Amino acid sequence: MVTHFELPAHVTAEQLIASVSEQSSLHLVSKHPVLKTYYDSFDWRLYRHDIICEFSQSTQASILQLSHRKTSELIASTTLIEVPSFSTQFSADKMRQILEPVLEMRALRAICHVECLVYQFDIVNNDEKTVLRIQIEEFERFNHRLSLFPIKGYDKVAGRIVEVIAEQLKLCAIDRPLLLDILKSQSRHPKDYSSKLDIPLSPDMRADIASKLIFSNLLHMLKVNESGTIANIDTEFLHDFRVAVRRTRVGLSQVKNTLPDDIVVRFKEFFSWLGQITSETRDLDVYLLNFEYYKKQVPVDLRASLDLLHELLAAKQRQAQKQLAKHLRSARYSTLLAAWEAYLGSTPNNKPTQVDAKLTIKALADLRIWKVYKRVIKEGEAIDQHTPPEALHRLRKTCKKLRYLMEFFQHLYAERRITSLIKQLKRLQDVLGDYQDYATQQQKLMHFSQEMQVSNAPDKTIMAMALLIEDFDKRKNKIRDHFTWQFSAFKKPENHTVFHALFATHHS
Amino acid sequence: MKVLALYSIKGGVGKTAGAVNLAFNAAQAGYRTLVWDLDPQAASSYYFRIKPKIKGGSKNLIAGKHELDVLIKGTDFDNLDLIPVDFSFRNVDLLLDDQKKPTKQIKKRLKPLADSYDFIFLDCPPSISLLSEAIFEAADVLLSPIIPSTLSLRTLVQLKEFIDDHALTHAQLLPFFSMVDSRKKMHKDIMQQVLADYPATLKTTIPCASDIERMGVERMPLGAYSKSRSARAYAELWQEILMRLA
Repeated sequence: MVTHFELPAHVTAEQLIASVSEQSSLHLVSKHPVLKTYYDSFDWRLYRHDIICEFSQSTQASILQLSHRKTSELIASTTLIEVPSFSTQFSADKMRQILEPVLEMRALRAICHVECLVYQFDIVNNDEKTVLRIQIEEFERFNHRLSLFPIKGYDKVAGRIVEVIAEQLKLCAIDRPLLLDILKSQSRHPKDYSSKLDIPLSPDMRADIASKLIFSNLLHMLKVNESGTIANIDTEFLHDFRVAVRRTRVGLSQVKNTLPDDIVVRFKEFFSWLGQITSETRDLDVYLLNFEYYKKQVPVDLRASLDLLHELLAAKQRQAQKQLAKHLRSARYSTLLAAWEAYLGSTPNNKPTQVDAKLTIKALADLRIWKVYKRVIKEGEAIDQHTPPEALHRLRKTCKKLRYLMEFFQHLYAERRITSLIKQLKRLQDVLGDYQDYATQQQKLMHFSQEMQVSNAPDKTIMAMALLIEDFDKRKNKIRDHFTWQFSAFKKPENHTVFHALFATHHS
Repeated sequence: MKVLALYSIKGGVGKTAGAVNLAFNAAQAGYRTLVWDLDPQAASSYYFRIKPKIKGGSKNLIAGKHELDVLIKGTDFDNLDLIPVDFSFRNVDLLLDDQKKPTKQIKKRLKPLADSYDFIFLDCPPSISLLSEAIFEAADVLLSPIIPSTLSLRTLVQLKEFIDDHALTHAQLLPFFSMVDSRKKMHKDIMQQVLADYPATLKTTIPCASDIERMGVERMPLGAYSKSRSARAYAELWQEILMRLA
């Protein structure tokens, strides 16, 4: 295992080298300035998987290394001129195999960087075989670091040097990655973004104050995703931006009678507009993200003919993205967003006029969740094999409202119980979401097919698209069969008992 | 984990150079790679400057008294480890013969390493013996270097017959040309004939070059000290093997 030591200010690299040289044959391999840049996705996917991604650039080489956050063990390493944005842009080697399932569609971004002077030494035996690697990093703003990289099968040498360092220089091993020190110096910390809601509400908070806190959290999520959405860094900025918009819309319509009517009307319209201007780009993103999967649904000899469809979708996405960026740079957007932020930041009215504003947030949460839960059950029970698709679409929207309400208020309830209910609701939502996605994609694909026929696309392309449309239809029908089972699982008596116990405290 | 054995009945055809250089290329691409030196001459151990010594001796190794892991030595290169051999391994057939199911023993020893390595290269001694059969059982691929000469060609035929006779269908036989002199007409003719008779033969050829011979002086894989045509040939051969494995 790699051992790191932090050198106190009074210990210099030269002193350290002198101590180690007395014991072993030390070869200076290199001494050069290095720029270390740390990479991760915006939502810290690598860090969450205990991976530290470090890009070291020097005049000699540029190396990207993945190491384990806790053990510092090297996981993968490759020489690169620059770090690609997406895992699929790496050449097909180990690095890509590790990054692809973790990052998926998210882009790698530079998180922070630091300059240092790096000394690399090898301790060699009589055969000039390296038996231990030593690295000293000298920083301007941080304590210098010494790292020992033992070679498998030569552990005794590493043990001997650790003893020398501990006894003569009184150093203790540390297991804190340098990344954490750099972030700390910038008043940042890892995992500082997650699309999951974690709103610290307490049961006795006044409902209007609590709802402002919820909306402020959502506004923060929207704002941090704004520049990435405009720059189209990856598709998930827009995805999370839209989630913040949808949650806000649900909040404005479902956390009723707490905020003044004029505010609710004004901002409902604003967030509805945001939903509209972002939907086309997101739909096209989903098409492009799933394109390889779609291709696999048609016979091998027709797959290449779908490239024309890919071109059409990519062109439409570029156009839609441009339009979206224009909207998000408009005066309408910035003025209304600033007004919303100003309202949320304003001092709460001591005598609110709204009927539910003075309720405790727990009482309001119980009321709203229980009511929407009952609506989910009622709408779901009305669905059978003959019900038109619109009913499933309506139920999907009601489920989403219930999910967001439960997520807004989850701090008010026993964590294990509400998390379990949310999980089960999510399973039902997945079925309804897939049904809706297939229906929308099928419909849009028909539209694209007509458009491409007009522009004289080859018969093979049109045929492949027809097969895809048919495939969507089959999947849609299969999911509909699955819905009955999933809905029964959701409304089972055990769940109902928990819903009742948690949320029906003031109602029958 | 894929096990690739550098194997030929004939000696001096480039097995060790193949094992060392292909393993080096795999490791450079980030794959966790191990070379197991099975030839008592200990040439691959020598190339990596690792002492030719089996901790506990060959007897304990074959009897399974130690896990292979304790015998592993890290090389001077990232992602690349080696299990050294020593002269006691010359009696390995006798030791194997003392075991129940002797031809399963190499595979059994390798099994616990499955999660630690992506590729294991076996540097095999030149012979057809009990150890060879154990290697055939353990390997996913038999990489067989052939010098484009009549004698070498004969050993390929013998190997093919041995595999067929013993129904050793598990390992994929991938011959490749080694020590090729592109100026020699005979080399060209034999290569053409082999490619026609054994379509599985890899297309990349390893030239006969003095910088490969220098590995003994440098004591490191070719790619670590040279960017020559020969170093590129091993890199290309590795890419071709990867494609075949896919």
